[in-house]
Amino acid sequence: MTPEQKVPVTILTGFLGSGKTTLLNRILSEEHGKRIAVIENEYGEVGIDQGLVINADEEVFEMSNGCICCTVRGDLIRVLGNLMKRRDKFDYVLVETTGLADPGPVAQTFFMDDEIRNEFSLDGIVTLVDAAHIDQQLGRSDESSEQVAFADVLVLNKTDLVSDESLDILESRLRDMNRMARVVRSKQADVPIDTVLNLSAFDLDQVLKRRPTFLEPEYPFEWTGVFSLEKGRHELSLEEGPDPTMSLVVLEDQGIDEAALNAGAESCVRLYSNSAELLHPGSTVPIEKHVSLQLQSNGRKSFFLELDNAQQIGLFTQHTAEEFDIQVARVDSSITKTKSDGKNESVIQPDNERIWVAEHEHDDEVGSIAIERLGDVDPEKLNKWLSRLLSEKGVDIFRTKGFISYAGESRRMVFQGVHMLFTAQPDKEWGSEPRHNQLVFIGRNLDEKEMCREFDKCLV
Amino acid sequence: MPGVEGFSPQGMLHEGWTAEVEYYAIVCGWTLGGKALLVGDVAGGLYSFEGKSGTPLWQKKEVHKGGLLALSIHPDGDIFATSGQDGRVLIWNSEEGESTNVIELGDGWVEHLRWSPDGRFLAVAFSRRVHVYGIDGHEHWKSGEHPSTVSSIAWSKSNELASACYGRVTFFDVVSDKINQMLEWRGSLVSMVLSPDGDIVACGSQDNSVHFWRRSTEEDSEMTGYPGKPSHLAFYQTGTVLATGGSDRVTVWSFQDDGPEGTVPGELMLHTEPISCLAFSHSGMLLASGARDGSVFSWFLQADGQGDPVGGAFSGDLVSQIAWHPDDTALAAINANGGITVWEFKVRTKTSPQGFE
Repeated sequence: MTPEQKVPVTILTGFLGSGKTTLLNRILSEEHGKRIAVIENEYGEVGIDQGLVINADEEVFEMSNGCICCTVRGDLIRVLGNLMKRRDKFDYVLVETTGLADPGPVAQTFFMDDEIRNEFSLDGIVTLVDAAHIDQQLGRSDESSEQVAFADVLVLNKTDLVSDESLDILESRLRDMNRMARVVRSKQADVPIDTVLNLSAFDLDQVLKRRPTFLEPEYPFEWTGVFSLEKGRHELSLEEGPDPTMSLVVLEDQGIDEAALNAGAESCVRLYSNSAELLHPGSTVPIEKHVSLQLQSNGRKSFFLELDNAQQIGLFTQHTAEEFDIQVARVDSSITKTKSDGKNESVIQPDNERIWVAEHEHDDEVGSIAIERLGDVDPEKLNKWLSRLLSEKGVDIFRTKGFISYAGESRRMVFQGVHMLFTAQPDKEWGSEPRHNQLVFIGRNLDEKEMCREFDKCLV
Repeated sequence: MPGVEGFSPQGMLHEGWTAEVEYYAIVCGWTLGGKALLVGDVAGGLYSFEGKSGTPLWQKKEVHKGGLLALSIHPDGDIFATSGQDGRVLIWNSEEGESTNVIELGDGWVEHLRWSPDGRFLAVAFSRRVHVYGIDGHEHWKSGEHPSTVSSIAWSKSNELASACYGRVTFFDVVSDKINQMLEWRGSLVSMVLSPDGDIVACGSQDNSVHFWRRSTEEDSEMTGYPGKPSHLAFYQTGTVLATGGSDRVTVWSFQDDGPEGTVPGELMLHTEPISCLAFSHSGMLLASGARDGSVFSWFLQADGQGDPVGGAFSGDLVSQIAWHPDDTALAAINANGGITVWEFKVRTKTSPQGFE
């Protein structure tokens, strides 16, 4: 059986009231040319009136060996085992789970059972999140955080019931927990069908083709301020903050709309990856250079900006403006002489400000760890480490995705795993692209520093 | 089909007849003492063919709304029962294909049916319960709720019924309504067969093993090392040999002496894809096996589980069931493409048609 012939399966999870049935009905009623079979749990929220709907009790089967990755959903094996004989009637399967379901066994069913694996391919896990209630749910139950952790797509639903500000905070919390997932906002589960179906989220080739770096961006800076400045000398002053130094990049001609901010952020990421030049107070800040402001001395510290012409400049700072009370002011020594002492200052307000996804803002047990490193790894060392890691921590590691550069291998190796199940396969040729590695682990109580250290030991 | 090229019948399997049904053929069996072959397809079509020639006798469409799931032919061959996704069991006469009784179980799939050896009872697995009916469709008995969906049922005696589900096998006395024995093991039991003397219970398990118990001692054992799930199991009439699937070879365990614990099983290797059905002949140590690659082989087994092929044929697609004729003179196979093939089974007296005469 070739992969093309396999029937794609989407798993739809989410707590009671998150809008699963609404989304299901929307998918079933829309003209998409697919014949969808729905496997619904017995305690569905509302009946579904279209299509081929099969009810199944959620039966989680553990094995005598106690291995968590062997745990599967018996009801799905039974129902799908029969459905595979009805290929004439459908070409897509949707599995809806109850809010109490652990997505692990559902996903594992598609890898552990050979008959199911031959006929079906897991396309993606879509988790609906009730924007108004998820905060409480995440605190109260393991299942809801696991459903967030397993997701390829998080549909942040019922956004009309929550303020924009709370949504931003919530989205950042969800991203902290699962950095692989795409977050889509909706009011009444009204998301475009192609954001939830045919994702090929478990086909890493496909994922990497569409999103060469599948990580959601998490920038090394937290704040951007765009200021309209005139030609001449300006002062950038800061108070003491939590850290003795702070990284900064200044960009010229920075626009204030969303696209311009994102473009600026992306070019800044590149600049931030260069090592920073240490600047002492009183120095002039170079443009488009990664600098680290030395802030150890007491009191307010000043740095300077020299501009050849009037323009909008963007400050991309490692920490938020608030933390160091960053101020930009005009230092006018030649043109305007409004004051006698020659050190005239007037604080300039930013045209626009932006706070980027803040790292580790919340203390959720469930979180993502991303390891990004340049260079090659030793396949044997990596294999040893991963085998040990997954056998020791497999219960707590929900999903793994990534690509690796093996020493001596001309192609990129792509990885993915669910709990202890793990596959690696060669993907495209590296060609002239610099060799690098990107691995994401989503799990509970993972020790980021330890994992990074162990990974670094695998580097050649 | 990948892996295998079509080939003409070889050895003791000879050209017989072929026919087709509309959808994936899932169940078959010989009725009326072997005078007719009954075939059911997944969409609920029922077809009866004259056993020798393959001439269609009668057919029905969509006997179960949503699809057909199971068939059990009464021991005397005159009636049979079907069940499906519509939550119903139908009892039919084999001659005319008329439905004589309807049993409504409710909303859900009815996946397993078994007539008792004496033909008095029909056992029906429905979700987490097992029900027992008489030929007239009246309920005689029903079990309590099992901890999970019943995955297999089998009669050990005419009044004792075994059920398998996740974690246990239970033996019920269906006449005096009591539990005779409960065998527990934490694992997902996906199939079950009983040795003809009723002492050995063998279950295929989701974790790629065969688990079995000896009822007399309640000792259990596990045969591991299968690359796949051994869903297909068959006991030889005397109970000395158990044939199992779970890979592209038939693994045969011998229960003679102290086996099978600690013994090496016989392995029958000719199929190129996993085994999809197994059946012993009614007499003699002959096993027939079908596989996903469409190949069918018959094997002559020895008491130690070793065996040699005595016949081979190609059915064209995944073989979903095989059935020996009641007098073992023919073998029927049905496949995933709705194909039906019946081969004559006899000694090939000439190696070439131009030989003698």
